[in-house]
Amino acid sequence: MIRARAARALPWVIKYRPKRIDDVVDQDKAKNILIPWVKSWLEGRIPEKRAALLYGPPGVGKTSLVEAIANEYDLEVLELNASDYRRRSDIERIVGVAARRRSMFKRGVIILLDEVDGINPREDAGGVEALVNVIRETRNPIVMTANDPWKDHLRPLRELSLLVEFKALTVNQIVGLLQRICRAEGIECDREALRFIAERSEGDVRAAINDLQAVAEGYGKVTASIVRMVVRGREKSVEIWKTLSEVYYYPRYAWKVKKAVQQSEKDYEELIAWLNDNTPRKYEHPADIWRALDALSRATLFLSRAKYGGEWSLLSYVFDLMGPGVAFARQDGGVSRARYGYPERIKLLAQMREVREVRERIAEILSRRLLTSKSTVKREVLPLIIALYRESRDTPRLAALALSYGFDEKMVGYLAGPRKAEILRAMQRLKKLRAEERAKATEARTERVEARRPGREEKPRGPVGLDFFLGGGRGRRGRRR
Amino acid sequence: MASALEVLWVEKYRPRRLDDIVNQREVVERLKLFVKERNMPHLLFAGPPGTGKTTAAHALAYELFGENYRQFMLELNASDERGINVIREKVKEFARSRLPPEIPFKIVLLDEADNMTSDAQQALRRLMELYSSVTRFILIANYPSKIIDPIQSRCAFFRFQPLKKEDIVERLRYIAENEGVEYEEEALEAIYEISEGDMRKAINVLQAASFLGKVTVDSVYRVVGMARPREIREMLQAALRGDFMAARNMLRKIMIEYGLSGEDVVRQIHREIFSGELKIPEELRVVIADYLGEVHFRLVEGSDDDIQLGAFLAWLAMLSKKAGGARG
Repeated sequence: MIRARAARALPWVIKYRPKRIDDVVDQDKAKNILIPWVKSWLEGRIPEKRAALLYGPPGVGKTSLVEAIANEYDLEVLELNASDYRRRSDIERIVGVAARRRSMFKRGVIILLDEVDGINPREDAGGVEALVNVIRETRNPIVMTANDPWKDHLRPLRELSLLVEFKALTVNQIVGLLQRICRAEGIECDREALRFIAERSEGDVRAAINDLQAVAEGYGKVTASIVRMVVRGREKSVEIWKTLSEVYYYPRYAWKVKKAVQQSEKDYEELIAWLNDNTPRKYEHPADIWRALDALSRATLFLSRAKYGGEWSLLSYVFDLMGPGVAFARQDGGVSRARYGYPERIKLLAQMREVREVRERIAEILSRRLLTSKSTVKREVLPLIIALYRESRDTPRLAALALSYGFDEKMVGYLAGPRKAEILRAMQRLKKLRAEERAKATEARTERVEARRPGREEKPRGPVGLDFFLGGGRGRRGRRR
Repeated sequence: MASALEVLWVEKYRPRRLDDIVNQREVVERLKLFVKERNMPHLLFAGPPGTGKTTAAHALAYELFGENYRQFMLELNASDERGINVIREKVKEFARSRLPPEIPFKIVLLDEADNMTSDAQQALRRLMELYSSVTRFILIANYPSKIIDPIQSRCAFFRFQPLKKEDIVERLRYIAENEGVEYEEEALEAIYEISEGDMRKAINVLQAASFLGKVTVDSVYRVVGMARPREIREMLQAALRGDFMAARNMLRKIMIEYGLSGEDVVRQIHREIFSGELKIPEELRVVIADYLGEVHFRLVEGSDDDIQLGAFLAWLAMLSKKAGGARG
């Protein structure tokens, strides 16, 4: 009795975890890539790629395969669930140490980082970079898993890793596995019931085993009628292609389109980006494009009201406008057969953000020195300066100007565009020249004279703010003229 | 000489003392009285841009507090920090902080104060009352009517006059001579016309033109034209031809290459719509401006730059289709 209960307490997904490589269902292609890579480590040859990134839908055996390999080759698995260790400091501390470790009892160490696609570029700042550094140096194989390896911020990891794809399992493969488990548990199962479970799992073995266990333990047997009653389809999110098709191809009901956008696998901000880029591809008539984009822009308006005003009930209108708003905008023209495209905008936004940050820093420097607002600088002064850096041939003067305001490489790049390198070189020359002149001058005069010249290329001497009163002061302003 | 320094002339030639300020005689005389008495009320400086308001405030503080006057002054620009939190936190903390013994009072300089929200102005009004014994406020505004009455009534009002043509041309000449720049007399007048009485703008244009060699009427207009991305016009033309995709690609290029925000782009489009270079029927300019205003309004309210401007371009493309797409 006690034994039975103990056995029962163990989830089947753990109890029936593959022990050997052959127990892992299918995934032959993945095995053929991963196993030689691990062997190479064991034979003392560090492969060119020191990390492997296993990707594919959930529940297809990514983690299981790693454990099975470790088991068969007598390796110690250091599993670091990435949900706990994602920040730069954690990764450097924990993974970094593991990367240099040697196993005390076994042939080697394999480091397993689960779900690296869960690293959040904002909250876990520096996580990916830290991981990249660890991978470059590691003395032990690092294996990572991910459902979606194509996220933008994972690119550095992709470039450094052996990519290993895992496929969703077929219904028959899952049925076979469920049958083996039923036999091992001594449970009566009918094949139709197992088929039903397998179909509902959509290739996710873990989900299928969990469903099987739920039915078996709840009802003592697994029959088609019970399964139909108990196992409902998981709230699966809808793939982006399906969502877009619901919007663009002859929608009939507004509520259906709205549901489609709400159930999308993409969050609403990303989905808006998809709609924004694909609408002009799919709609052929400018009036249709206009109506759709206009609705979409109103969706973003409601979204920002919801976000910044905290009125989350407004979110409903966001979906109204991005789904039905776009779908029923098509009144004058047809739908093109053009293929859907990945929104360039997501990449674009990152680029824009970077440029704007540089622009903001330049405006900050100039606004302090010119005693005017950043917005005035951006509106009036920057356009002139940009024009000069791109069109004026007076390079030495442009270089001198850049030095006076302490513009760094990025700022010069922003101002000068294609002429960046030319200006930077001129700045170097000028710096050298000045250093020489200064050296000469010190012989003749005292340093103080030099220190009082206006426009030295130093920290902008801005207004003295609050911090001065509350503690340490700041440098004084130089004298002019 | 090869290593000569280059600073923006608006910075280099900014008057440091009250007496150096060009043609605001009346204002300067009154401010000098405050220096003499080492006391002053709260001040409100109003007038068009580039007439010396900020400069006067700094010069006043310089004469009151000496070389290191910026230590005793909190400078805020309401265009950049317009919310009530700035007032509550930064200004309040500064205003009530201890008064250093060597000065009679501290100064809070609120530039472009007409951009403050009315909440922030209400909060400010309280601070002006509470801490007036140790802190004086100088408010600067282009449009004093946007400053709430209770604040106006607590301030001594100074109106800065628009600068006259002679004032600006004279100053430009002085700078050009001093910098050893070659120039045509007519070029200075052209700069005045462009600057619309704004000294800062005038000096910036002079300096920019000097980068192209001798300052001539031609180089002045050239440099001003250069400062407007020509892609804006090309973008509008593409949209008006009905080529939405080309127009939107240009839009994105502009926003990335120049780091412009949606509102920046709207402002540029607005200027372009009324320029003779864009060949469209006059009545269409009005129609476009009307919709552009709506676009601008939505951007201010928080809609997405890229999508909203995309919608605008699609709308232009639609107009051209309706008109038969004949326009070039």
